[in-house]
Amino acid sequence: MHSGLIIIAVIIVLLLARFGFKAVRRKQGKPELERVVSLPAGKLSPWRRKLLTVVVFSRLNTRRFFRDRLALFFGILFPLIFLAVFGAIFGKGTNNVSFSVGLINESHSRYAQQFVDQGESSGVLKVDKTVSDLSGAETKMARGQLDAAIVIPSSFGELKGKLPSGQIKVYYTENSAQAGQTLVSVIQAQFQSFNEKFVNIPTPFSVVGSQLTKKSLTEFDYTFSGLLGFSIVGLGIFGPINVFPELKKQGILRRLHTTPIRVWQYFVSTMISQAIIGLISLAIMFAVAISVFHLKVVGNYIEIAIFLIFSIIMILGIGLAIGGWAKNERQAAPLGNIIVFPMLFLSGTFFPRYAMPELLQKVTTYLPLTPVIDGARLLTTEGQHLTQIGPQLGLMAIWTVIIYIIAFRVFRWE
Amino acid sequence: MYSMAKPILEAKELVKTYNDRNVVDGVSFSVSKGEIFGILGPNGAGKTTTLEMMETLRPIDGGTAVIDGINVADDPQKIKYIIGVQPQSPAFQDKTKLTEIIELFAAAYGEQARPMEFLRDVNLEEKASSYVENLSGGQKQRLSIATALVHKPKVFFLDEPTTGLDPQARRNLWELVQQVRDRGVTVIMTTHYMDEAELLCDRVAIMDNGKIIALDTPAQLIKNLLSKGFKKKEHVEQATLEDVFIDLTGKALRD
Repeated sequence: MHSGLIIIAVIIVLLLARFGFKAVRRKQGKPELERVVSLPAGKLSPWRRKLLTVVVFSRLNTRRFFRDRLALFFGILFPLIFLAVFGAIFGKGTNNVSFSVGLINESHSRYAQQFVDQGESSGVLKVDKTVSDLSGAETKMARGQLDAAIVIPSSFGELKGKLPSGQIKVYYTENSAQAGQTLVSVIQAQFQSFNEKFVNIPTPFSVVGSQLTKKSLTEFDYTFSGLLGFSIVGLGIFGPINVFPELKKQGILRRLHTTPIRVWQYFVSTMISQAIIGLISLAIMFAVAISVFHLKVVGNYIEIAIFLIFSIIMILGIGLAIGGWAKNERQAAPLGNIIVFPMLFLSGTFFPRYAMPELLQKVTTYLPLTPVIDGARLLTTEGQHLTQIGPQLGLMAIWTVIIYIIAFRVFRWE
Repeated sequence: MYSMAKPILEAKELVKTYNDRNVVDGVSFSVSKGEIFGILGPNGAGKTTTLEMMETLRPIDGGTAVIDGINVADDPQKIKYIIGVQPQSPAFQDKTKLTEIIELFAAAYGEQARPMEFLRDVNLEEKASSYVENLSGGQKQRLSIATALVHKPKVFFLDEPTTGLDPQARRNLWELVQQVRDRGVTVIMTTHYMDEAELLCDRVAIMDNGKIIALDTPAQLIKNLLSKGFKKKEHVEQATLEDVFIDLTGKALRD
């Protein structure tokens, strides 16, 4: 059901992106041609002329992105697919224990029915309806599709004296021993409350669970900030390392090099358009995560946006460095993969870094993507402010300087 | 007559070395303002490399190139403002409209342009809102010429502009080049079509193995050859197959 919603949301967004823009332009009537005023050269100050270059290049870059179906797919839809997959896995939250079981109910007593209903309505039991006997359940348990099988014998609920009685059997395999044993104690507790209704014996020792009100992070919160990082990497690194070699191959950059445009102008215009595209893409991810996976954003959206723009620009530098250096895709692709994939896994994109060995955690703290993901999480789901994530911002600033020094040094127009 | 005017471009002993081999080996020539200057030669003669050194794309390993009083090696950035470049196979980024391409190149020079005017000059008005990937080869060449002229350059370099074009498109391109020259722009082009050079160029330099082996007007070069006693084996036809082709299919552009 979730994936259905996502697909609908994605289709709406893509339609808007593709045709919404067109509709707006149509409204303006005859486009660009008349709007552009011819200014004799030299009327603008040298600095304004340099900025004009940046503005026009970034505007056209952005436009081009939204016209390109392939770019839209990788820039917007692709991260959403990951979001859907990880959201479906982690989005349920980890608080509720539930077991998928095969239920073989041979009893017709109302007590048996009551037990089943209670188990199902509380969400503890997920009954696989296709299982009708123990051997069928065993096959599924062997495949790991079921945690356990519950057999309610026909004698369950028969009156013994004045009181109903019975014994349920829980079967589990070696692999699901933990789940099986937990299930046994859960059912035990359930029967306990049953029993108390029939015989009132005071219980000398008891335990009561009480949930603290302080909000804790769910696994999805970690996953979401990781996916933000993944999306930024997708746009900022995979974008340039695919596009630049192609531009060089066709001589498009070379042709640009015969004009007075400078590398910084080209970089800055790419930064601006990537920041715009990235923000749109990430905003869609936020929208889907909030509406479909119940992400609770407690931070300030403006601070989050500022932080994400900074992140996009820093990560883009890696793409500009690799793509700008590579003469062709045979150079770009391997170098890109060597840098990107370890970084994705080590910076906590797909699983939280706290699950790593301590030494690895210490080392990976300093990777460029790590402060992006940590910072995004701190701002988004932990409600911190930019002023509180100084270590992350500092680390990102250092990386930005290093990355862009390299990117400018190694850039080649052909 | 051209030698009278002050040269707008002067190349002196240009050298380009790759792997210890001089692919351009002491090339010297000068071009006057308003001239169409051709560089001819077989593939690998060093034509394109010579052009690219003057276009600031390749470092000059020896000699000097001066355009409009500016030394190319000393101030490439200044040179870029006064030259227009038409590469051998023009390419543009997909999903960009023709008008936007013009805007983009104008912006590269820090200028705002009226795209339609430039597109009209090269007969691409109706295509203004198409994407560049939908253009034919000839149309791309024409668009490329428009992009090379957005900043009103003084010198226009074309590298084999008609390679791969059909006869109609070639003729159209020749007209365009002449129009550009008539506006006072100096044109320097490479080609390996002799008919093209003979028709378009005021003077040609013939290159082979990185060296200029002849430099004069086409008419004078032919005269020199005839004076050496050269005779064509067969009688010259009054018309060529190309004349037949154009007569049958017309001069109108097909793309």
